[in-house]
Amino acid sequence: MSFRQARWDEPAIWDLAPERAAEPPPTIPGIPERMRRKSAVRWPELSELEVVRHFTRLSQMNFGIDTSPYPLGSCTMKYNPKVSELLARRPGAADLHPGQPEETAQGALEILWRLERLLGRVTGLPEVSLQAAAGAHGEWAALLMVRAYFRDRGELDQRTEVLLPDTAHGTNPASARMAGFTTRELPSKEGCVDLAALRAAVSDRTACFMLTNPNTAGLFESDILEIAETVHGVGGTLYYDGANLNAILGVTHPGRMGFDVAHLNLHKTFATPHGGGGPGAGVLAAGEKLGPYLPVPRVVKQGRKFRLDYDRPKSIGKIKSAYGNFGLDLRAYAFALTHGEEGLRHVARRAVLNSNYLGLRMGRSLPRPFRTLVKHEFLLSGSPLKARGLRTLDLAKRLLDEGVHAPTIYFPALVDEALMVELPETESKRVLDEYVAAFERSLADSPENLRAAPRSLAVGRIDEVRAAREPLLSWKDLREAAGKAETPGAVAPER
Amino acid sequence: MPRWIPDAPGEEAALLSALGIASIDELFADVPKKARIGKMGVGPSHEEAEVVREVDRLLDRNKPLSKFANFVGGRIAPRYSPAAVDAIVSRSEFYTAYTPYQPEASQGMLRALFEFQSLWVELTGLDVANASLYDGATAAGEALLFCHRVRDGGRRFLVPASLPWEEKSVLRNYASGPGLVLDEIPYHEGTGRLDLDWVRAAVSTGDVFGVLADVPNGFGHVDEGVADLKEILGTIPLVVAADPLALSVLEPPGNYGADVVVGEGQGFGIPPSYGGPLLGLFACRTEHVRLAPGRIVGATRDVEGRPAYTLTLQTREQHIRRSRATSNICTNQSLMALAFTVYASVVGPRGLAALQSSLAEKARTLASALGGIDGIRAPRFDAPYLGDFTIELTRGTVPEFLDRLRRRKVLGGHPLADPRPGAEPSPARLLVSATEAIGDKEIQKYVRSARAAMGAA
Repeated sequence: MSFRQARWDEPAIWDLAPERAAEPPPTIPGIPERMRRKSAVRWPELSELEVVRHFTRLSQMNFGIDTSPYPLGSCTMKYNPKVSELLARRPGAADLHPGQPEETAQGALEILWRLERLLGRVTGLPEVSLQAAAGAHGEWAALLMVRAYFRDRGELDQRTEVLLPDTAHGTNPASARMAGFTTRELPSKEGCVDLAALRAAVSDRTACFMLTNPNTAGLFESDILEIAETVHGVGGTLYYDGANLNAILGVTHPGRMGFDVAHLNLHKTFATPHGGGGPGAGVLAAGEKLGPYLPVPRVVKQGRKFRLDYDRPKSIGKIKSAYGNFGLDLRAYAFALTHGEEGLRHVARRAVLNSNYLGLRMGRSLPRPFRTLVKHEFLLSGSPLKARGLRTLDLAKRLLDEGVHAPTIYFPALVDEALMVELPETESKRVLDEYVAAFERSLADSPENLRAAPRSLAVGRIDEVRAAREPLLSWKDLREAAGKAETPGAVAPER
Repeated sequence: MPRWIPDAPGEEAALLSALGIASIDELFADVPKKARIGKMGVGPSHEEAEVVREVDRLLDRNKPLSKFANFVGGRIAPRYSPAAVDAIVSRSEFYTAYTPYQPEASQGMLRALFEFQSLWVELTGLDVANASLYDGATAAGEALLFCHRVRDGGRRFLVPASLPWEEKSVLRNYASGPGLVLDEIPYHEGTGRLDLDWVRAAVSTGDVFGVLADVPNGFGHVDEGVADLKEILGTIPLVVAADPLALSVLEPPGNYGADVVVGEGQGFGIPPSYGGPLLGLFACRTEHVRLAPGRIVGATRDVEGRPAYTLTLQTREQHIRRSRATSNICTNQSLMALAFTVYASVVGPRGLAALQSSLAEKARTLASALGGIDGIRAPRFDAPYLGDFTIELTRGTVPEFLDRLRRRKVLGGHPLADPRPGAEPSPARLLVSATEAIGDKEIQKYVRSARAAMGAA
């Protein structure tokens, strides 16, 4: 292990300049005295270089796909093409206001329209909206559409329940609840939906069954057609969580599998950068049944002109102030246009090939809980570590010392000490082999070294319990904690 | 095929042979035949150069704001962003990272987000900010649900009738899940100010769980009545939706009783990009932090006692609490929060206040010039404003007016009417915004064009 991350002794931004008594802000004519700010905003006055250097140093204490393999399962951390960054910064894209007349934004509308048509074909659900800001936002909106659908049918009082497997992303039950449904999680069988349990659970109370396919165990739900039949048989709707669509591009699609509505994450399958926690870009795709309920406006083509159509009487209305995250939609369009049919199919094939290869290699060191034919990701259980007094967490931290990111850990909850691994299609065999080697070195290292990891990063193992027990959530909190004097054990402010 | 998928000679064969299979097809054996598709029908692949050419061809059909004397703004504000902001946001250590699930490997973004939270706390006068939400409207939606958790009773949420229709529509959707109702506070015809007597009466029904007021309001005006709301509401939570630039010169809402301050942060270093990505801002009081939505970064220590940062209070969140989470939000707007922080730090508190002051001056000049035109009431309301104000046409329609202006290369403002068929008819009003890109020349151009347009109307 020869990796070392930059370890700048960089002060907080407010400690870069001494605090001075600042002049109150200028008075603006007409603004009543009681609404006027009496003292300047408490924030440092810095030179541009000081600010740039500060944030450049911070950036050097951060892993990204461009610095390290980043095998977070379900997050699909693939290469973010540079050409998309270039295009999104063109004045014709960045310097456009959503409130400017449609005649002056025909190119933007055409890009949105084209991307929607393309995603309609990729998903087999032809009615598409790009309004959602992220995947979870799309989930919630889709469930509001389901609500509106049952309201129209006079069944809303009865259809109160959303069913999901226990492998579902946490956003699924949270979105269902926000949309006003109760949720019931069904135990899975060998990592997949237990068809008998589903048949027993559905009823005329079922509004929706939410499913990810391939699921979060990386397994394709081979009973999908029977699942769809079961849910539709009781008059329920079937929801596709598109977080894992990247595994099945060109092989199957939600429409063919029988789903009524789907969300996609453009920041996963379509390679838009995740930005350290957003922005994302959500997509809503629906079939005939739920299409009329999509948010307004919709992008339509009339003759050779594109416009925003608000005349959708069944629509749920707006879910975001502007239409969508156009800057990201444009990036996704460039990605899809580059790949085309054959390329998108290859995206899925190579992702699945990588995943099965990596599963085979890493599965020699830790048990794999379910069947070994996987799609874009796979699970390992870190339970054997317990015999050495270790946890999956220790292994994850030790991996960071190799200069690689750790897999998703402790999810899904049905696997003890879970690790969820996904290195998508943009990673070469050399990188996969290096990752396996790093993984094996980490496992072979001494328990002391695993517990002491990470040691090569800007900071060592972080005390997360303390963060939650004594919350310090802003500069203001740090000042107040410092003001409470140097009591033993108190967290001192930063230097 | 793009270079984005590795294809070194023999590479795929080596992977297949390690798996002991002849073709990748075998890895899809678990997809039932009846579920398979033929072609998707998405067209051929393209070389990078072709993609650039094609996308540029499409983008050339747009007319960016710089081609006009532009007066369209509002919550999404076309502002100049110093090049330093994009330089930092373009650092791929930041933009190609995921949510910082391994905090030791992600101190850079975590520290930036901690500084972002601190900045929103300083601007608002509240205690705790989260690490961002999607945009101003969804932040208001989350605030509505937050109030319902805090108040634990009541079905009605009050918002100004002057709130932009898009935001009301988003709020109605947030309210609809738990079966809550949005009620509109009427405004005084002359001033656009909230009818506080109406609020008092509504509150006395005991069925109100929260109230939102915006500063500046949907007409662009600063209504000092907002500062009287908390006295009327008592323990009912008050949400103020505030513009961050306005807060550089306005009293922090925390000082007049706001329990939550939300806002749209796009104006700080983020290009308008036809509406996204934007930045949702959210702050509340310490006593309510465990009911707050979204990611929160906290300061702590590492094993050696060094300052360190991590996502914290996660038991509120969907990945732990599932259906009982305070929100479903997962991916938020970290990179935009970084842009916001870099922008505010480069411009500085004095720079922000000076910018707001100069926009207000331009807006006053424009309003008084437009007010002299027959057929235009500018500003429509007799109330103070900063960079935006509302005008009303006393004859003709807003679309005709804007069309005539556009032919003279003027984007005259943002129509306030709800464009959905069946929406209640509304007066011919538009929000006019001053931006940095306009000077005396552009103002005169607007006035000349407006006069001509009204002459023809």
